[in-house]
Amino acid sequence: MSRLGSRKSFDLEWIEKWARRVNEDRILPVIGRFFNGRFVLGVDETEYLIEVRGGKISRIAEGLQPNDFGFDFGLKAPASAWAKFCQPIPPPMFNDIWAMAHPLHKQLTIEGNTLPFWQNLRALTRMLSLMREV
Amino acid sequence: MNTHDPIVGRYVYVQCEGKTYRTYYEEHGEGIPLVCLHTAGTDGRQYRHQLCDPDITQNFRVIAFDMPWHGKSIPPSDFYLMEDEYKLTTKFYVEFIVAFCRALDLRKPVVMGQSMGGNVCLALALRYENEFSALIALEACDHSPGWWIDPLHHPHIHGGEVVATAVFGLMSPESPDEYRWETWWYYAQGGPGIFKGDLYFYSVDSDFRDQLHKISGKLPIYFLTGEYDFACTPEMTERTAERVKNSECIIFSGGHFPTSEDPVKFKDVVTPVLKKIVTNDPERRGQGGQTGFRQANPESRSMGRNERPAGRRVIDL
Repeated sequence: MSRLGSRKSFDLEWIEKWARRVNEDRILPVIGRFFNGRFVLGVDETEYLIEVRGGKISRIAEGLQPNDFGFDFGLKAPASAWAKFCQPIPPPMFNDIWAMAHPLHKQLTIEGNTLPFWQNLRALTRMLSLMREV
Repeated sequence: MNTHDPIVGRYVYVQCEGKTYRTYYEEHGEGIPLVCLHTAGTDGRQYRHQLCDPDITQNFRVIAFDMPWHGKSIPPSDFYLMEDEYKLTTKFYVEFIVAFCRALDLRKPVVMGQSMGGNVCLALALRYENEFSALIALEACDHSPGWWIDPLHHPHIHGGEVVATAVFGLMSPESPDEYRWETWWYYAQGGPGIFKGDLYFYSVDSDFRDQLHKISGKLPIYFLTGEYDFACTPEMTERTAERVKNSECIIFSGGHFPTSEDPVKFKDVVTPVLKKIVTNDPERRGQGGQTGFRQANPESRSMGRNERPAGRRVIDL
């Protein structure tokens, strides 16, 4: 797990590997059929824009540009928290995004319009869990 | 060949706060009544494994009921005229549990509840210590904030999927997938707004932090919490148990739904507690000509179609 323990590991190359793993998944197109939108993954100070169409990731980008017209919601956490989340058996309080975001724990912040976050929580949870297979 | 679980289900009419509630319950076993309280937004199916375990049912009459609005228990008949959303209050919850036990003529039952059913054990100890002989509070603490939130009941959000997924991470990633997803399914089947309304009790109406010192200690309370519970963390349970007289606290390597997410591990964790309850209940111990905790004949086990995992699991306590 030391590979994931440093900030450098969550670079765009790693995000791409994860996105390709997401797009191989045969369950996400079913449970995420209506999951369309753009969200930001924040790792420390770096923002990755993730575009989703029908439960698959259609585009990833490092950093936000004016032409992006913003995003729907953002999930932002320190690299150390994402590293725990990505372990095959994550430790308590880091095994789930709502666990990390819950007011008791505050390891992750959900920014922007949280309505699409909750609407797509089932597909999003599976999508993020595939980080454990990168 | 037909295979049945030994569980029997019935309906009983329970009077509570001026209304009559047709209440579904399931039971199996003989001995000390063990009344099981389900978690928020779900129903008594969470106890199906314990209801079928001969090591438990040879010592306890296990009873799991569905609260009004949950499972096969219907809401009050005029629910469609309510001018406020559904909210479970501490007062109604406590009164209903006591009324249910009286409706079944149970004498000094043991209550075992998890999550909100665990938290309400503190209210039972405060208000009705003479009605019960012991309390098993699973995933319980004196205050569990942060769950009475609108995304759990919103017309633009699929209630079943969101509440089930919101609680999924409360389970241990090492609990069997089969049982974690069965628990997810129970949650997905709850009525609209019922999970959120139960969490009004859980996060808002049941703050026991200033009342723990009033619990006399006459009633033994056993606290059991899994380390993956992010709603009621082990620290929150330990903090509570330290202030409750005549209580024990056991932390184990599981999650928030021990009875349904990993029944094999839960059996290992709860068996010493159940043995202690039998030992401390000499009046009723040894019914049927035996004394002490009775162990079922392994060959007599009838586990139904879903075989439990055979391997024994190691528990960190």
